[in-house]
Amino acid sequence: MTKVNTVLGPVPVAELGIVAIHEHIGYGMPGSELDTQWWKTPEQAYEETVPKLRKFHEYGGRTFVDVTGICNGRDPNYYQALSAKTGVNIVACTGFVGGDTALAHFARASVDYLAQVFIHEITVGIGNTGAKAGVIKVGVSRGGKMTELDQRIYRAAARAAVVTGVPILTHLAIDPKPAVAIFHEEGLDLDRVLFGHADDGLNAPITPHDYIYDQGGRIGFDTFGYDLELPDPPFWGRKRAERMAHFKALLDKGYLDKLMVGVDANCSPLGWPGVKGHTVNYLFEDMIPDMKAIGIDDDTIHHLLVDSPAEFLGMKN
Amino acid sequence: MTDTPTAGRPTVNTVLGPVPADDLGVVAVHEALLSVLPGAQYAPDISMDRAEIYEALEAKVIAFRQAGGRTIVDSTGMFHGRDLTLYEALSRATGVHIVATTGMGPEEKLGGYFLTPQTNPPTPWPAEKFADLFAREVTEGMVVPRIERRAAAGMVTTVADRAGMTPTEESLFRGSARAAAQTGVAVSIRYGADALAELDVVLDERLRPDRVLVGDLDRTDAAGDPGQVAAAVAAKGAFVGIDHVGLNEDPGYLTDAQRAALVLDLVAAGHADKIILSGNAIGVAKGLDAYDLPYEHVLATFIPFLQGEGLSDEDARRILVDNPARLLAVR
Ligand SMILES: [Zn+2]
Repeated sequence: MTKVNTVLGPVPVAELGIVAIHEHIGYGMPGSELDTQWWKTPEQAYEETVPKLRKFHEYGGRTFVDVTGICNGRDPNYYQALSAKTGVNIVACTGFVGGDTALAHFARASVDYLAQVFIHEITVGIGNTGAKAGVIKVGVSRGGKMTELDQRIYRAAARAAVVTGVPILTHLAIDPKPAVAIFHEEGLDLDRVLFGHADDGLNAPITPHDYIYDQGGRIGFDTFGYDLELPDPPFWGRKRAERMAHFKALLDKGYLDKLMVGVDANCSPLGWPGVKGHTVNYLFEDMIPDMKAIGIDDDTIHHLLVDSPAEFLGMKN
Repeated sequence: MTDTPTAGRPTVNTVLGPVPADDLGVVAVHEALLSVLPGAQYAPDISMDRAEIYEALEAKVIAFRQAGGRTIVDSTGMFHGRDLTLYEALSRATGVHIVATTGMGPEEKLGGYFLTPQTNPPTPWPAEKFADLFAREVTEGMVVPRIERRAAAGMVTTVADRAGMTPTEESLFRGSARAAAQTGVAVSIRYGADALAELDVVLDERLRPDRVLVGDLDRTDAAGDPGQVAAAVAAKGAFVGIDHVGLNEDPGYLTDAQRAALVLDLVAAGHADKIILSGNAIGVAKGLDAYDLPYEHVLATFIPFLQGEGLSDEDARRILVDNPARLLAVR
């Protein structure tokens, strides 16, 4: 049996069901907790979050992968309570959204130390919560190129992934060559890496999708719903039809086994206003209907939302 | 908190509320209580056991009190382990006034929220936003992140990179100066590469020089002879922080014998009212090397040594009591 670490303990992959692969209960840049403009009462946070997760569950969603990095407001105790009360599996991550979200203690650290931190959080737990991380998050800092720190984090993540068997999700798939080189050097099969945000409006034009596919990496179309048609779209937004057409083109090339989809929404953002109206349920309310409308069949959708995530999330050792 | 009559007397912001400046007694001005390298609180190999931290701090603060100390300033700012509820309990239990500070720095220790915000392009924070963040910690109270505000900050503190002030650090210095000018608390700067030039940055914000403490003036890498730099800082009207008293084996700093000579030179030059002595002791260090210097080192060891070298009792009192009170009084 293959299993996955959720915040409430390991579950068999057979039980994961429909998975939202790249999500956030709440995300904030490190330091945003000092700025009262973003503060919410616990009442407000639960009020914004619980109905979304309940609805996700009603739609048939069973597993929510939270990729909020170590210094970004990741809150395993809270996730445990949310999971227990809504019946949605929540998978927490270890790692960092990018080098520019790693605070000084980690930014100064060696690859060895970072790998130990990740391995500890996957095998022993996060802080004193008992929750074990089920995936590793890494990413490219703002600026478009992998920094030396980004690369140190990727290498540590690769080592931790090899040791523990959990997969890696990346924030951004731009500048993937240094990443691919690091994963090769560390002996990590690229099938264990989901190169994320390959679809966002800012980065899709500079993301080498075919290169990632040829290397054996997985490609994340995981910002579905950040549409330029929204009243107040974020700077990484993209025309809804354009994203779907891009996705369909990759499907038509035969990339299905390497594609995964998600919406990267915040249930209740921590250090930014969030994007009004965009929730994890975009998956069911908009993305799936849009896919069906352009002729993507049920089997393909099932593969994208159930089979591929199960295969990817299952711990390989 | 008891209601102390403070009408007409300048006050100092402590974690338990305003205290008349002339009640501060002997002050340790540049110290750290709990000092946490940002991020270390999340590290699996670092224990953040509150009871253990409190016990260690309490023992050190009680020793300080027994030596005659009455006030400790935690000058680590708002993002380096500041723990207000712990400090309130500590102050109540020991009877020692605790002044906590707002501010941040150097850039390397800031969170990404200030450096690469979620905007395109990710422009670092300008001085005005830092000024607002820090000033609110004085006018509305210091934050316990995402929970509440507590008492007013007693000083703004900031630090520049040793390799030279970065543009974001210039914003931090200017923002700190503006927050100090707006609220009446003092600003403490620990310079990067050039104490006088960086003092000029905060003075450029029309902050009165006697509202500025320039720390680290016992470093040997000051741009120029440390004695001359310290005298020039005093001549500009700012407080001179000789604040690594007790540190004797680090080539980057003067020895206590050299510090004593520097203090006596400043006194002889008429700058006794500008001298701040402190130890930069760390009560409890997380993610950084421990530095177990007793908080009472200046008071119990260095001042008697200076008196042996000819410092008058009057100047000793000025340095330990009067200067810190003038610096910390909200004006
Ligand atoms: Zn994300």
